[in-house]
Amino acid sequence: MDLGSVIQIWLAALFTVWIYSIAFRDNVFFKFAEHTFVGAAAGHNIVYAVDNIRRYGWTPFTQGATLYLVVFLLGLILYTRYHSKYFWLSRFPLAIMVGIGIGLSMRATVTAEFIAQIISTASLQLVGVDAWTAFSNLIFIIIVVSVVYFFVFTFPGLHGGGRAVIPKIARYGMMAAFGYAFANTVLSRFQMIFGRLDFLMSSWLPLPGAMMVLPIVLILLIYAMIPAEKRPWPKSS
Amino acid sequence: MREKRGFWSRLEDIPREVLYGLLLIAFIIPMIKPIGFPVPVSPETQKWYDTIDKLPAGSVIMIDFGYSGGGEPELGPMAVAVYHHIFKRGGLKAIAMSTSIEGPLLWDKAMAEVNPSQYGAQYGVDYIHIGYIAGTETAMAAVGKDLRATTSTDYKGNPLDQYPIMEGIKDASSFDLLIVFTTGGDQSEGWVRQWVTPYKTPYLCSVLAMMKPTMLPYQKAGQIIALTSGAQAGEMEYLVKVPARGIKSADVMTLTHLLIVVYVIVGNIAYYGKKYSGG
Amino acid sequence: MSLLIRRQIPIALVFITALLIMMDYFLKLPPLDARGVSWTSPVVKDLQNWGVILTAFALGFGAVNLFILHSRHISRRTVKQWPFSVWLLLMIILFTVVGVSYGATSPEYSWLYNSSYFALSATVYSSLGFYMTSGIYRALRARNVDAVILLVTGGIALLKNAPAVAVNAPFVVSIDSWLNAIPTTSAMRGIMISAALGAIALGIRTMTGKETGFLGRLTEAEKGG
Repeated sequence: MDLGSVIQIWLAALFTVWIYSIAFRDNVFFKFAEHTFVGAAAGHNIVYAVDNIRRYGWTPFTQGATLYLVVFLLGLILYTRYHSKYFWLSRFPLAIMVGIGIGLSMRATVTAEFIAQIISTASLQLVGVDAWTAFSNLIFIIIVVSVVYFFVFTFPGLHGGGRAVIPKIARYGMMAAFGYAFANTVLSRFQMIFGRLDFLMSSWLPLPGAMMVLPIVLILLIYAMIPAEKRPWPKSS
Repeated sequence: MREKRGFWSRLEDIPREVLYGLLLIAFIIPMIKPIGFPVPVSPETQKWYDTIDKLPAGSVIMIDFGYSGGGEPELGPMAVAVYHHIFKRGGLKAIAMSTSIEGPLLWDKAMAEVNPSQYGAQYGVDYIHIGYIAGTETAMAAVGKDLRATTSTDYKGNPLDQYPIMEGIKDASSFDLLIVFTTGGDQSEGWVRQWVTPYKTPYLCSVLAMMKPTMLPYQKAGQIIALTSGAQAGEMEYLVKVPARGIKSADVMTLTHLLIVVYVIVGNIAYYGKKYSGG
Repeated sequence: MSLLIRRQIPIALVFITALLIMMDYFLKLPPLDARGVSWTSPVVKDLQNWGVILTAFALGFGAVNLFILHSRHISRRTVKQWPFSVWLLLMIILFTVVGVSYGATSPEYSWLYNSSYFALSATVYSSLGFYMTSGIYRALRARNVDAVILLVTGGIALLKNAPAVAVNAPFVVSIDSWLNAIPTTSAMRGIMISAALGAIALGIRTMTGKETGFLGRLTEAEKGG
């Protein structure tokens, strides 16, 4: 393995251990890793902003699409939002972005998330199928209608009295869904933890010296977790 | 003076370090000593596999490499397994783009893992990456309407015209299948709105397990052919016969999930024990 | 005049842009070209490509905000913070310089990304798994019917997500499949339909100037308008 890859693994491993340390106590190593993360994220965004402007704007512009000059100007105007006097200029490019966003989402939302979902619900069969399927389909339809009622019909009085049963069914349906979502969230997070631990155990620890450095890293972390006034040195971090 | 706390109260307030420590042990033990639990293949993973397997030769696939580094441990193995399948199956053209800003670099990482040359696949002939395109749904709509008007270069900045794979590729209608790996709801749902609805492109979607519930209605309505989570990578690896990180995680997931069930049960016992014993 | 330029024109721009995109989707407005394509099609195509570039410009907002915030920390020498602020700004500069000068997909930038940002991002998101564990132990209580439903469905799904359980106890998979296909999907569909109605309403309100969040801070005169 070349030196570049070795250094890369060491850095990635140390950052991984330092970030996990916050689960136990706040410490200076975590803060260092955290600030590295935020800085890197912002820097990465700039890099890809430049890349996109270059590839999707500058390239066509140099090939004769002169109208892109207007877009560049609008893009720069976005940053007037930081100016106390001329901040309103940024509303023009923002208006175009918002307009595009609304147009794109509204045109398809109607079909994909409203009509298609209603058609799919309405096409569920209650007769001509076995009893269990009919029962399941009935439950499905009742929950869909109840949940829509729960969120849309929120006028005073519509969730009380005899009608209170509808939001109650909706709540039960949603609780079942949230329970399922919760279990899946556990799965997701644990897959992520596994990914990092697997990296540490398969890529870092087999490297020469890593097994010896690991206890030192952990001791330093534990030391850094001791409140400043209780540790002999340094008194403040 | 320190108040004396009962057993149930102490059980309910176990320090978090103990909970985390036990969890870490449940993670590490099967990693050091693999147990080799089997991986069950679910119908949806099988359906995903069959969809790619049954594509006619010469079919063109659009792949959105739309996950972030945070989701890589889960979606990375899935994406790698699917690429293995595409190359193993052969005769397919895989054109990737990214709606996630980390996509191109993660694609490089995945390709290094897949090693397409072992299947005789060549960059620009069998597969390509056209880059990260900002704007999420705007990017999807733009590429769907006219790919060449949106970008004329691949992710390295080389002209698309020089690659044989791009011959005849104009817009969404040039694609026979859409595969999305994403950590963002905007992306997974956006593709339904911008490609599936207007162009009727068949859609295979792989998201983080925690996002799966929100995508289920689309699947039920037939807008998604098969919906999987990255956590099902082991199943895909088993079908493609390329065991890797997904299968390796099966032991760990079993032990850690059982531990969580134990936590829920013990937590509730402690709660009710404290309630009925007065502390 | 000022109100017209500062408030009404941006709202009109939103309206026109959104309307053009929707018209292109639903209608085939004449005049059509030789291939039968409406005039709106190339206009919308350009607009979408403009949108991509404008979004790319907006990607720099995060860095600008961080520069403003952390420059303040540095100039005020905020205790226990300013050295980290210096480091954060250095990281922004380092990433930008390497990425822009060598290229966003160059081996140099890729090395930098993999050794820091990728490792950090993957770890930060996964660390939430630990907090969740402690939350599960302390907060998931069968206090009422709602919580019991959540616990039972969650518990079954947790067992199903353990591969060894799924293989050895097929009934868990059957129950999970039903929970997934019926209550979860139906509740999510109800939420989706409701959210779609909300999104459409919000879209119409923004297009007609009733919702002005995107305008940012408003002066008193603008609020009145």
